[in-house]
Amino acid sequence: MTRLLALDGWRRSVIGGLIAALPVVGVCVLVLLFAPAYVERLAYAGLVAIVVVAGLQVFTGNALIVNFGHTVWVALGAYFVAILTTPPAMKALIIPDAPWGLATLQLHPLPAVVIALFAVLALATLTGLVISRVSGIGADILTLCLQIIVHSVLIHWTDLFKGNTAFFGVPQFMTLPWALLIVTVVLVLARLFRDSPWGVQLRASSENLLAARSMGVNVARRRLAAWVLGALISATAGMMYVFFIGTISAKSFYFSYVFLTIAMLILGGMRTVSGVVVGTAIIQIGIELIRMLENGPVMLGLQLPQMFGLSGLVLGVVIVLCMVLRPSGVMGTREFDDLLRMWLARRPGRNGDRP
Amino acid sequence: MDYALQQFLNAASFGAEYALIALGLAIVFSLMGLVNFAHGEIIAIASYAAFFLILVGIDNPAVVALVAIAASVLGAILFERVAFRPVRHAPVATGLLTAFGVSIVVQNAFLLFVSPRPRPLPVFGGLNRTVELGGLKVQLLQLLEIGVTLAAISALLVFLRRSTLGLAMRAAARDFNTVRLMGLRANRVIATAFAISGLLAGIAAVFIVARRGSIEPDMGFMPVLKAFVACVIGGFGSLGGAVLGGFVLGFVEVGILLVLPQSMGGLKDAVVFSLIALLLVARPQGILGSRVELGDKER
Repeated sequence: MTRLLALDGWRRSVIGGLIAALPVVGVCVLVLLFAPAYVERLAYAGLVAIVVVAGLQVFTGNALIVNFGHTVWVALGAYFVAILTTPPAMKALIIPDAPWGLATLQLHPLPAVVIALFAVLALATLTGLVISRVSGIGADILTLCLQIIVHSVLIHWTDLFKGNTAFFGVPQFMTLPWALLIVTVVLVLARLFRDSPWGVQLRASSENLLAARSMGVNVARRRLAAWVLGALISATAGMMYVFFIGTISAKSFYFSYVFLTIAMLILGGMRTVSGVVVGTAIIQIGIELIRMLENGPVMLGLQLPQMFGLSGLVLGVVIVLCMVLRPSGVMGTREFDDLLRMWLARRPGRNGDRP
Repeated sequence: MDYALQQFLNAASFGAEYALIALGLAIVFSLMGLVNFAHGEIIAIASYAAFFLILVGIDNPAVVALVAIAASVLGAILFERVAFRPVRHAPVATGLLTAFGVSIVVQNAFLLFVSPRPRPLPVFGGLNRTVELGGLKVQLLQLLEIGVTLAAISALLVFLRRSTLGLAMRAAARDFNTVRLMGLRANRVIATAFAISGLLAGIAAVFIVARRGSIEPDMGFMPVLKAFVACVIGGFGSLGGAVLGGFVLGFVEVGILLVLPQSMGGLKDAVVFSLIALLLVARPQGILGSRVELGDKER
């Protein structure tokens, strides 16, 4: 263990990413072994959320630009694979007039995922070239514009995206262990980016743009890289989601989902990958518990009233308290492995040469 | 001619609504760098105050409007005291996210304690009638909206130029520390800014409720989103820019609705926001904003 922690360079990042994924793996193994099926579904939703928030962290956490547009990639990733993999018989019901012969096309999920990722890569590069040039609030508002533009296209282009109603009939083959594998890979990737020279340059530029530029950092390029990687990760989350649930609707990726995932990121601490896991876990589990209360359960023989809105209320209070008391989130700037290393160094008897 | 005038008034009244809300955002931002996303909830507070007043049996529109505006002023001051004062010196992102938190709390409080569904509120419905003006038919609401907005902006200008507190606010936008050295309380200056932003939002809320005739918990979200965009178009933090941006947005929206064919009506938002994105890329500092080089102290 100590030797693993002492590794340097990219190996250190890989170990760090794996350590961040460890609690998730542990919880999911317990769920797989002991929990009923509905808990398994909740755990799967949590894994999807972790991937979404990790995608958000790669851009927002490193560049410190609030991204209101990240769920666009979740939605597009989900829609792209849905359009490519749904059987034509089903499509005759949902999108019979799809352009470019898509109505009669059916691909195996693997090539569909590859094509969808390339499509997202192209779109993200295009939008990223624009957004990466603007700093400050202008950039925040640009991501907001992106969200509104894509959402209204999704709603309006009914021939391809089914518009306001749900798109259904997508093959469902994803399982919890596969999702767990994706989560682990994504967390390691996010950590690798954070610790890479590009990630460090980007974080430096977010703290002091002028200093970073004068040291020769090409800030726009670094932002673009983070934007594209974040988009690809978010799109992966969308695919995980749709291949499990089998149905999507554009509305579920709009602003309420944006705010929920942003809250997860800031609660955990947007600067770290471990913060992604912590924030998502706290909010996802907390909200599920409060939802039980919302539906008016019977407790100690008392029928409690229905209280819709309670989960949102608590979510808001948590965000405000977190900003007031601990603005940098639960994890601050430290990853799990940093904490572990500090704890090991502080343990008595380890450093014999100390007085 | 008649049609053109109607469309002009239509655009101007939308613009006036955006300008009122954007002005409130800009005043707060210019002073303390806070992007106040909870501004929409001030509008909701004013509307729900009106709703409660009707519930207890007071239905004189003038009284209801005044109480609604008073409620929004109080709401804005309360937000500042409870949520924004602790994060006053924090970075922009912290303030922005705090504002989100406040917005989520208030929305869900209305959802929890009133109803998640829209509730009818026809108290200001009387404003939705057509009046003859020199042989032209115009909507009373639109005339009032434009007139009241212009009056409010003029009053604000007088306040900022003639009163000590107004002068202090203008000075504080440039250098808060010097203002404090002159013996003015920072808390009072900022509370005044929030009160003004609440007042403007309350006025806007009356018009919004008159137009839609109903209230719901997230009714403030879209207007404030538009107002934000207006601020950014005009140059964030510039008061003149907020007003100009509001009117530009109103005219662009109505113009695009006229130009787009009927079948593409759903894409209005997409087109409007694409234009805004283009503008932002071409002029990131907005129309009236001046380009600030990094490290510049002076704006």
